[in-house]
Amino acid sequence: MERRFAIKQILIMAGGIALLPSCLKESGKSSIALTNLDVSLDQEHLLAEIAETIIPATDTPGAKQLNLHLFVLKMLDDLYEKEDQKLFMKGLSDIGDVAQDKYGKSFQKLAVQQRQELLLAIENDKQVPPALGKFYEIMKGRTVGGYLNSKYVMTNLIKWELVPGRYNGYFPVKAA
Amino acid sequence: MSNINTESKKTNTYDVIVIGSGISGGWAAKEFTEKGLKTLVLERGRDVQHIKDYPTTNKYPFEFEHRGEPALAIQKENPIASRCYIFREDAMHFVVKDHEHPYVQEKPFDWIRGYQVGGKSLLWARQTQRWSDFDFEGPARDGFAVDWPIRYKDLAPWYSYAEKFAGIAGNKDGLKELPDGEFLPGYPLNAVEDYFKGFVKNKYPNRHVISARCAHLSKPNQIHFDQGRAKCQNRILCQRGCPFGGYFSSNASTLPWAAKTGNLTLRPFSVVESVIYDDKLGKATGVRVVDANTKEEMEFYAKIIFVNAAAINTNLILLNSKSTRFPNGLGNDNGQLGKFVAFHNYSARISAEYDGMKQFSTDGRNPAGGGYIPRFRNVYKQETNFKRGYAAGFSAHRSNERDMTGVGENLKKNILNPPLGPWHVGSHMMGETIPKESNFVSLHQSKKDNWGVPLLNISVDYDENDALMKKDYVAEMSQMFDEAGFKNIKVNDSSQAPGLDIHEMGGARMGLDPKTSILNKWNQIHACPNVFVTDGACMTSTSCQNPSLTYMALTARAADYAVKSMNRFEI
Repeated sequence: MERRFAIKQILIMAGGIALLPSCLKESGKSSIALTNLDVSLDQEHLLAEIAETIIPATDTPGAKQLNLHLFVLKMLDDLYEKEDQKLFMKGLSDIGDVAQDKYGKSFQKLAVQQRQELLLAIENDKQVPPALGKFYEIMKGRTVGGYLNSKYVMTNLIKWELVPGRYNGYFPVKAA
Repeated sequence: MSNINTESKKTNTYDVIVIGSGISGGWAAKEFTEKGLKTLVLERGRDVQHIKDYPTTNKYPFEFEHRGEPALAIQKENPIASRCYIFREDAMHFVVKDHEHPYVQEKPFDWIRGYQVGGKSLLWARQTQRWSDFDFEGPARDGFAVDWPIRYKDLAPWYSYAEKFAGIAGNKDGLKELPDGEFLPGYPLNAVEDYFKGFVKNKYPNRHVISARCAHLSKPNQIHFDQGRAKCQNRILCQRGCPFGGYFSSNASTLPWAAKTGNLTLRPFSVVESVIYDDKLGKATGVRVVDANTKEEMEFYAKIIFVNAAAINTNLILLNSKSTRFPNGLGNDNGQLGKFVAFHNYSARISAEYDGMKQFSTDGRNPAGGGYIPRFRNVYKQETNFKRGYAAGFSAHRSNERDMTGVGENLKKNILNPPLGPWHVGSHMMGETIPKESNFVSLHQSKKDNWGVPLLNISVDYDENDALMKKDYVAEMSQMFDEAGFKNIKVNDSSQAPGLDIHEMGGARMGLDPKTSILNKWNQIHACPNVFVTDGACMTSTSCQNPSLTYMALTARAADYAVKSMNRFEI
């Protein structure tokens, strides 16, 4: 039991799933074990800020606290083609360039308002470059999906029932 | 040495051998053990014990490593399995992986298999509609296949028998084309399903939308409690295995029931290579088995052998059971074994939206899945340019429509408080296909699997009749949707390969004449009467109902007959 408890202590929870930490000796690398991706700790921090911009902490936790950026990395690592992974990583570095070009600062140094502007500009750009577009599509889709399917949301905000035990085909609702 | 052989022969001898532990094998096991016969059930896969071996059954969505999606590497390794809706992280451990059990596709065929105790009964869609004489008389009336050697009256009492034990929820709808059964309370249709039902009834007197009949315990009887099962809790996570035994599976129902008699021996990891035919005795004496793990070859013996390996594998075993008397496979005097394979055409769906009934939504989950539209084409007479017809599913639901635009607090607020969208309605086609000699399975000339069993060639395809029928389904259902006021009607022609319907049937069909069929009216091999086939391989035609309930009834009926025959020393 103690051993199991110890293992639990070193797992990283990301939106409800337990992720294995990377080898901690190798400094400067992402904090979770990845098979296909090579992600630095700096990139991981940048992802955390982008995720937090998408789903910020309010009176309830935001993306960073739920480790949704690590969830995105895990999904990217296991569910996407090499080509998409490459585009994502390039798009991530392009975000930094966009921040420098637009505001003369790194993304992390931007005010929340500016971060939001920057992401919205990508979202609304019909001619967004492929890497930035793919990055944003995966990052936003997986952050939002991971959030809605997170343990926190599914057990506190929009409760998912394991055992409903009922069916009502005429459930009254307010007609919109 | 001969003593040892005699000893081993004795310990390996049973009254009955059942090959396969899926939906029909489980029923055979129950029937024979209840009648006091020592029964050996051989299962090629691993054991799956009720509840104990359902590792994902109580997991929340966020507990799956990729929220349910199989990792890309797994999808790429398993292109066939990945096309099946069951193949997700919660149930993929119950689905055969492509590379473990290869076969040869002479034409594209997605063969979905469940190699474990319980087989696909753990995974099935649980829809249980009876056949009627419009189905059994189909081949004779419409001039295809051969005449079924049985009629509805032969099977009706066995349908009742199977339904009472399995537990079938449904309503007495009073339809000649879909006879009523022994039902537990049916699940209700929802507001829009009921609306469509009423609309169709008014406009088309011969078309009916009913609540789908399904193998769920809506209100269990004592017989179900005696099996250790409880009321269905509307989880709809059935493919993971149900800790309540809320739906019927071999694992929850027939196998533990058989085990309780003390007459059951269940041997997992037992790949049946062939049925042993003794040329001198003129009958089958047992089966040859290869242990799946050790590859050790062994033999088991019995007076009666039931082959319930699932339709296509039953064909494989029989084709591979060669003897001097049967050089082309057991019972295959006419060369028809493996031929006339058919399936159900599930390749079209229609979806739409409905703007009305906004004062209602649904709450909880419906195990029946919604409505069922029995076949209405060519029922009383031939009326179209294609043979036979289709049943259709029909269901309606409302879901939240999330505004996913933007980022930040607004986005968060929007996705946490989504408004209800309009009702979405959907239908899928379940078409009868016509068995043909050119749709067949056969043994590969040289390639064998890891257990020394020849690989199967599968050569099964759609035909012109299927195309015409699909066109009609799309036209009729679209029109009914349109007339009912559904908007934004979309047709999805998936052009999925045969097999993905998981309703493959035939190859060892029943018939009156040994020249044109493999099995007689009791599911006995014409030329080898102590071997019975009661899984999908026996089907003379497919009609369009989900077939499992019919396999259950046929199995119980054949087992009853087998025991009576044995007691009369006929077999």
